[in-house]
Amino acid sequence: MADPRLNSALEYVFEGFHKGRISAAAATTDWEAQRTLGRAIKEHTIAHLDYYLGQLADNVTGNGGNIFFARDAEEANQYVLGVAKRGNVRTVIKSKSMVSEEMGLNHALEAAGVEAVETDLGEYIIQLAGETPYHIIAPAIHKSKEEVSGLLAAKSGGERMSRAEDLTMQARAQLREVFKRAGMSVTGANFAVAESGSIVLVTNEGNGRMATSAPRIHVAVMGMEKVAPSIADMSILLRILIRSATGQRISSYVTMVNGPRRSDEEDGPEEFHLVVLDNNRSRLLADPAMREALYCIRCGACMNACPVYRKVGGHSYGWVYPGPIGAVVTPALTDLDAGKDLPFASTLCGACREACPVKIDLPRMLLELRAKAVESSGTKAEAAVWRSWRAGMTGRSKFDLAARSARWALRLFARGGWIKRAPPPLRGWTASRDFPLPAGRSLRARFKRRKPERGK
Amino acid sequence: MTDRKAFLASVRQALGRRPGDVATPQPIAGLSVPDDELERMARQVREVMAERAGGLLDEMAEAASRAGWVVHRAVNDSEAVEVIRDICVDSGARSVLKSVEEPLLASERLDDALAAAGMDVRAMVRPEGTGAEVEKAMGELRSRVFEADVGITGADYGIAETGTVVLHPRMGLSRLISLAPPLHVAVLRKGDVLPSLDELFLLERESHVQGRLAGSMNLITGPSRTGDIEGAIVTGIHGPTEVHLALVDRSG
Repeated sequence: MADPRLNSALEYVFEGFHKGRISAAAATTDWEAQRTLGRAIKEHTIAHLDYYLGQLADNVTGNGGNIFFARDAEEANQYVLGVAKRGNVRTVIKSKSMVSEEMGLNHALEAAGVEAVETDLGEYIIQLAGETPYHIIAPAIHKSKEEVSGLLAAKSGGERMSRAEDLTMQARAQLREVFKRAGMSVTGANFAVAESGSIVLVTNEGNGRMATSAPRIHVAVMGMEKVAPSIADMSILLRILIRSATGQRISSYVTMVNGPRRSDEEDGPEEFHLVVLDNNRSRLLADPAMREALYCIRCGACMNACPVYRKVGGHSYGWVYPGPIGAVVTPALTDLDAGKDLPFASTLCGACREACPVKIDLPRMLLELRAKAVESSGTKAEAAVWRSWRAGMTGRSKFDLAARSARWALRLFARGGWIKRAPPPLRGWTASRDFPLPAGRSLRARFKRRKPERGK
Repeated sequence: MTDRKAFLASVRQALGRRPGDVATPQPIAGLSVPDDELERMARQVREVMAERAGGLLDEMAEAASRAGWVVHRAVNDSEAVEVIRDICVDSGARSVLKSVEEPLLASERLDDALAAAGMDVRAMVRPEGTGAEVEKAMGELRSRVFEADVGITGADYGIAETGTVVLHPRMGLSRLISLAPPLHVAVLRKGDVLPSLDELFLLERESHVQGRLAGSMNLITGPSRTGDIEGAIVTGIHGPTEVHLALVDRSG
C-alpha cells in the first residue's frame, strides 16, 4: 500500500461512493423508511424462500424460459456448459456477475474450449491482466491508466492511448466486435421477481442491456437469496441498492427481463435460462444467528465504510466477496481455511452496520464467528497463556510480579527495542508483525517516584 | 425437475419446515398491495399523471438534465421535428435509425426533414414471416444498428424522481436502437411523466396481473457511463456517449 497512485484511486472510490451514499441518502427524505421497507422485504422473502423459489420457477417456465436449481458451483457450471454446447456457442459475453466469479465459470468455459469475455470495463481490464476483482462495484480500481493502456494496446495490437476517454473508446471498439459475434451471454441478476418470473439487471455501462439484446441465448445466474415476491418491491430495492452502491439516484440502466423474446418483440434472445445457486447458502439459512447474511443485496457500502477494508484492500480477503460481508459469508460458503481468520479482520466499529441499506448486523455476526473459531481451534500454548494471564490479573501484587517478569523475559528476545522473532510457540505471532519492547519501568512505578509539586 | 425437487427440499430443511408444512406467506405489512386495490391505485396514478402533467414535465426536465440528458422543449410535433433535425445536424450524423412506435417517428415529416439535411434515415422494423430471407434481413438491420450515428425512439414514460426514460421494447421498437448508436434521441410527451419509481412498478404490476406485461423493460437515465479507469467518469463505453431528450407539450 505504498503506491501513492493506488492510494489516491482507492480514496476516490471509497470516499466517492461513501460520501455519495450519505448525500443520496440525505436527499431521500424517507431514507430510513426505505431501509426499513427493504429489510422487511428481505426478512419476509428469506423466511418463505421455499415458497418464492417455487413460484419463481413456475413463472420462468410459464414465460417460456428455463430454470435450473444448482446445489453447487460444479452443477451450475455443467448446466451453463450444456446450454453452450447445445447451442454450438463458441463465444460467451459476460456481464458483471459476482456469482459467476463464485462459480469459477470463466475457467469452466475456457476449459471446454468456449471463449468467455467480460464486458464490464473493469472486469474486462482485470481479465486482460489475468487478475480477480478488487471491489465488487469497482473491480479494476487498483490498475493505473498506464497499465490499462498497455493491456488494451496489447489486445488490439494498436497504439497506446493515454486519455481515459480514448482508452474507453478503444475498449468499446474491441468489445463491440465480441458482442456482434457472441452466440450467448451470461449475466447476473440483481433481483428476481417471483410473481412474474422476471430478472432485474442494474448497470451504468449498458453491458447488461447489450447482453440481453444482441446474443441468441441469455443465461442469468443468481444466488438463491436474490428473489423478491413482487414487481412492486422493485422500486424500494432498486432505490436502496443503487444509492448505497454508487450514491446515484438511479444507475444509467435498469433492465427487467421477463423471459425470452416474444413473438410481438422486434429482437431479443430466443432462449432464456435462469440458474439459481445454493452453494452452501442453505448453511446460512439454517443458522438463525447467520440467516440475515442472506439479506445482502451486494451494494458494497459496507466495504466503502470499513476502515479495515480501506487499508488492506479487496485482494486480502482471499475469496470472491471482500469487506465485512465477505468476512461473514466466506467461512460459510467455502470450506477454505483462509475464511476462518476473516472475522478477526475487523475492529467491530459498527460502520458497516450503519452503512448497510438492509441493516444487517455485521458486527454481531463477526463476533459470533469469532467465538465459533476460538471454540473450534486455538493452540494449547494459547490456552496456557490465557490461563496464566488470568492468574496474573487477579491481584495487584500478582500483576506487578507478572509485568516485571514479562519485561525481563521479553528483553531477552529484543533488538533495538523491537522483537522481530518471538520464541516458539509464539513465533507465529511475529511472523508478519514486530512486537515493541515495553518501557523499562511501569507507569505505576514512575508515578510513585515522582515528587509531588505543591504550592503553585 | 429433479434438480428443483431436491433443491427446494434442502431449502425447506434449512428453514426448519416439517414434512407436510406448507409455506403460506402473509402480505408484508405496509407494503403488499392486494390485487383488488391495485386497479384503484393504478387509476389514481393515471389521474395524477394527467392532472399534474405540466408540473411533472417541468420536474422531469430538471431531473433529466441533472442525470446527463441534454433536454430540449418543443410546443408541438412540428417544433419537435426541427429539434431532432438540429440535434442530428449538430452531431454531424450521416445515418439515422428510428423506431416507429411513436406517431411522430412513424410519420414521413421527420424522414423528409432529415433527408433534406442530407441524412440517410431508416426505420428499424423486423420483416414479417420467418425463414432464411427474414434472417438475412435481420442480420442487415443488426449490422446497421451497430453502425448508425443516431438512434431515435419515443418514451413510454418519464420518471420525475430520477430523470428516467422508460421503454418497453416491442414490434417497431428494437432493444438496440436506444443502445448501440453513439447518440440517442428520445421523444417524451406531456402527460406521460410519472412522479416516481413507485408508480412505475405499480403500473407494471397492474400490467402483470392483467396478463399484458411486456417482454422486457428498460429504464434509461443519461448516457452510458463507466468509472473503471482510475475513477474518472467517461461516457459511451457500451451505449451512447450523448443522449438528448425532446419534451413535447402537445401533438400536431
